[in-house]
Amino acid sequence: MNLITENLCFKPEHEYYLNDISLEFKAGNLYTLLGRTLSGKTSFLKTIAGLQPVDSGQITFAGKDFNSIPVWKRNVAMVYQQFINYPHLTVFDNIAFPLKQRKMKFSDIQNEVSSAIKKVGLQGFEKRKIQELSGGQQQRVALARSLAKKAKILLLDEPLVNLDYKLREDLRNEFKNIFSGDLSSQSILIYASTDPLEAMQLNGNIIVIDEGKILQHDSAKEVFENPSNVRVAEITNEPAMNIVNGSIESKKIILNKDVQIDLPDKLKTIKPGKYFFGLRASDIVLDDSGFQFVVDLAEISGSETILHLHQDNLKFVSLINEVKNFNNRDKVMLKIMSENLYVFNEKGNLIFSPFKNK
Amino acid sequence: MFVIAPFLWALSTSFKDFNSVTGGAKYIPWLQFEPSLEGWSVLIRSQGKGGVNIIEPYFNSVFVTCSASLLSIIFGTLAAYALSRFTFKAGFIKNNDITFFFISQRIMPPIVLSIPFFLMLGFLGLLDSLLGLILVYMVLLMPIAVWIMVDFFNRVPKEIDETALIDGCNPFEAFFKVVLPNSIPGLIVAGLFCIIFGWIDFFFAFILTFTKVQLLPVAIVALNSSVTPWWSLSASALVSVAPLIIVAFIVERYLSKGNLSGALK
Amino acid sequence: MAEIELKNIAHSYDYKSENPTYALNPFSLTWEDGGCYAILGPSGCGKTTMLNIMSGLVSPSKGSVLFDGTDITSVKTEKRNIAQVFQFPVIYNTMSVYSNLAFPLKCRNFDENIIKSKVIEVAEILNLNLFLDKAAKDLTADQKQLISLGRGLVREDVAAILMDEPLTVIDPDLKFRLRRKLKEINEKYNTTLIYVTHDQNEAMTFAKKIIVMDSGNIVQVGNPKELFERPQTTFVGYFIGSPAMNIYDCAVLSDFDVSIGNIQLKTSTNLSNVKSGQLKIGIRSEFIKLVNNKSENTIEAKIEIVEDFGNYKLITVNKNNLIIKAKVERETTIPHDVVLLNIPAEHCCIYQNKNLI
Repeated sequence: MNLITENLCFKPEHEYYLNDISLEFKAGNLYTLLGRTLSGKTSFLKTIAGLQPVDSGQITFAGKDFNSIPVWKRNVAMVYQQFINYPHLTVFDNIAFPLKQRKMKFSDIQNEVSSAIKKVGLQGFEKRKIQELSGGQQQRVALARSLAKKAKILLLDEPLVNLDYKLREDLRNEFKNIFSGDLSSQSILIYASTDPLEAMQLNGNIIVIDEGKILQHDSAKEVFENPSNVRVAEITNEPAMNIVNGSIESKKIILNKDVQIDLPDKLKTIKPGKYFFGLRASDIVLDDSGFQFVVDLAEISGSETILHLHQDNLKFVSLINEVKNFNNRDKVMLKIMSENLYVFNEKGNLIFSPFKNK
Repeated sequence: MFVIAPFLWALSTSFKDFNSVTGGAKYIPWLQFEPSLEGWSVLIRSQGKGGVNIIEPYFNSVFVTCSASLLSIIFGTLAAYALSRFTFKAGFIKNNDITFFFISQRIMPPIVLSIPFFLMLGFLGLLDSLLGLILVYMVLLMPIAVWIMVDFFNRVPKEIDETALIDGCNPFEAFFKVVLPNSIPGLIVAGLFCIIFGWIDFFFAFILTFTKVQLLPVAIVALNSSVTPWWSLSASALVSVAPLIIVAFIVERYLSKGNLSGALK
Repeated sequence: MAEIELKNIAHSYDYKSENPTYALNPFSLTWEDGGCYAILGPSGCGKTTMLNIMSGLVSPSKGSVLFDGTDITSVKTEKRNIAQVFQFPVIYNTMSVYSNLAFPLKCRNFDENIIKSKVIEVAEILNLNLFLDKAAKDLTADQKQLISLGRGLVREDVAAILMDEPLTVIDPDLKFRLRRKLKEINEKYNTTLIYVTHDQNEAMTFAKKIIVMDSGNIVQVGNPKELFERPQTTFVGYFIGSPAMNIYDCAVLSDFDVSIGNIQLKTSTNLSNVKSGQLKIGIRSEFIKLVNNKSENTIEAKIEIVEDFGNYKLITVNKNNLIIKAKVERETTIPHDVVLLNIPAEHCCIYQNKNLI
């Protein structure tokens, strides 16, 4: 029961929405479609659902041509980032809607609906109207509707992005449990997200998409550890990985005229020349023996401090694992953990990763 | 006060006889004049007994207005849905232009349309017939329906239709089971406007009919002869306003139940 | 510029009824001149009501609003010298950026030259000086939001700028730019900034002082560090920090010792006076350390889940059906089945009836 897309292209005007997408989704797996806003995530999900045409390309599901099957016969389910429910129906009728549409027996419908309601924790709300629910509850109804349907393909388009911060966190944990418990070996789950932390937490396969093109498709760990190019490195890290233009010359990495670091042993095989260097925000640490930087902005988030820094033309974001107060324009000393440097060639493709070459 | 005064005046006039009307300003029944039922009785008396021709036009009007409104709502709603959901493109003409085209029918002075309508109906042999009037009124009322419904459909998120499709509805089911129930307030508003505009139209009813088929506004004006019968004129005017008041009353009750607002956020 | 004081304020939207339900329970609060504040809380906690009371859009059922000691409770919004920025940029689309910024001054009949110099000054701060002649509708979302902000800044008499989730519609990449501008403005003009949000990260990154609210009550006022390390109530412990604080029922054993089930923990809180009330202990995931040797305050527990978040790992362990979450650095090697966790005594917060002792 695999879903295969081959060379999907969609270019309604001047820009590609989907650019030559060829992927294979295996039944029983969770896929996270990770990309910034407008990168083509929604477009791709809608194409799978059958709501959006393609210019060329083929979708095959379970060996059958999917292109020619209309939406209403595809047996997919989709949850949108807006809270989309049927406002004129009660919670129960909302969840029962796809089942009634399938002409199921009423007693079966009742069983399915009540078990879906239990899964999303909405017991006691069956008779409520949609408008009487909070945003989080509305999204639970939408999820319950898609679960009750037991569709073979479940598409979730940033389902948590419009919720309050804390609610998002709670619901994400819940969703993860629902998926791991409920996802039968028959169905495919595709979850679109902009948030790398969310993608890492869901811990499925990550598909990195940008400008309608698939940049990388691998396990969460692999994508995080070995991003195939600079764009992936930026998209899969929060805060984005620092990408700096620099060069390797005579045993040194030169980032600008002041910031020069000794070439770590691991990198000695790379020949001198111009490169992009990638450095995670957490790999720039406070250390008196380091280089002097100026604080542009210090932000405290929960248990961490994020420093936006610059030194001449060099700009860095650093993540410090404690809560510390800085003022703008403070001078701080920072060390660059050179053993954790990524090296990308001039085209931006990965040529050295601290994980792969350990 | 300004709204109610004409009504009250018409109401009091309808109970006056010839002398009470012409003999200076008199307003309060029994005190200033002796109320008479003459104005009302002529409405129901048959024509042979000095009655006026009002009942038949009345039913003609009800029939024409209702059928034209109903047809306008049905076709207008479908057209509006298409305009709201699908993208049309014919050269430089886009969805908004089509919507505007519908409305532009109402912008033109009726006199401009009257001649083509007259000729068209003449060609079809539908002059002075109920069917012809219904067709003309449909043309007049549909822009209102389309205009209001496009706005309402635009407020129903497109994702709701999509969800319905995903949930196994074909496009028609999605429209009837999901989109339409969420646009009921719009339907009511559009229906109300259609009925009002259809009911009060005098111009086309006057031009496109001669003797066989008469609509109420025309019939009322026709009462006016050498001696203006103010009493029966007032009475028939009140009778003609009555249905609108009833409709407005029902809708108002519905509105106050809160069913119209807040169906969708 | 002014110090704003809210004195015994309470608000109910059905104040006239017999049992009014309070959107805001009675409180007093002072906003120092030039402060940088955030009001943080879940939807419906009363944060927007509080903001609207300050701006005058809502008049409080009880209490008074003082600007520099003058009671202005009954003064109308437009006379209050307050600028407000809403979720969605409110700009005049048909006007140029310049006219947008000049509008509040024009309405107050300022001299054309004064308007010009003021607008240019503000535009420079906001990096809008290159767009002054452009139509406002052609700008990006964050620039539009800057215009809304700029309209508050051009008026020198503005005592405070109130912002109701101003970054909601802004792209994540642009949020940083806007936050940085806000901080610069706060430093340069010493204008009081008050920022309402439900996002703990936004509040923590923006404000020097955070007012945490829950169901109509102010539960804690403090800087980010205080909120994180010493949450005053269990709600703050839950709401601030990601993941939420580990919170368990506990009982007093001796002056400094508590027990959670059959686990004993030493704390740095003197519990000798604690006799009654429901007791809870809160421990931040970030302070729990993975250790190799058993010692005081060490728990041996079975690993249930290890989640890799990239920058860190979150370990969920189970000790006699007690679920404990610990945040560790990504490089940490995690044993397969059983781990030793150390819980530092100084980071145990003890709550009596949900309030920190």
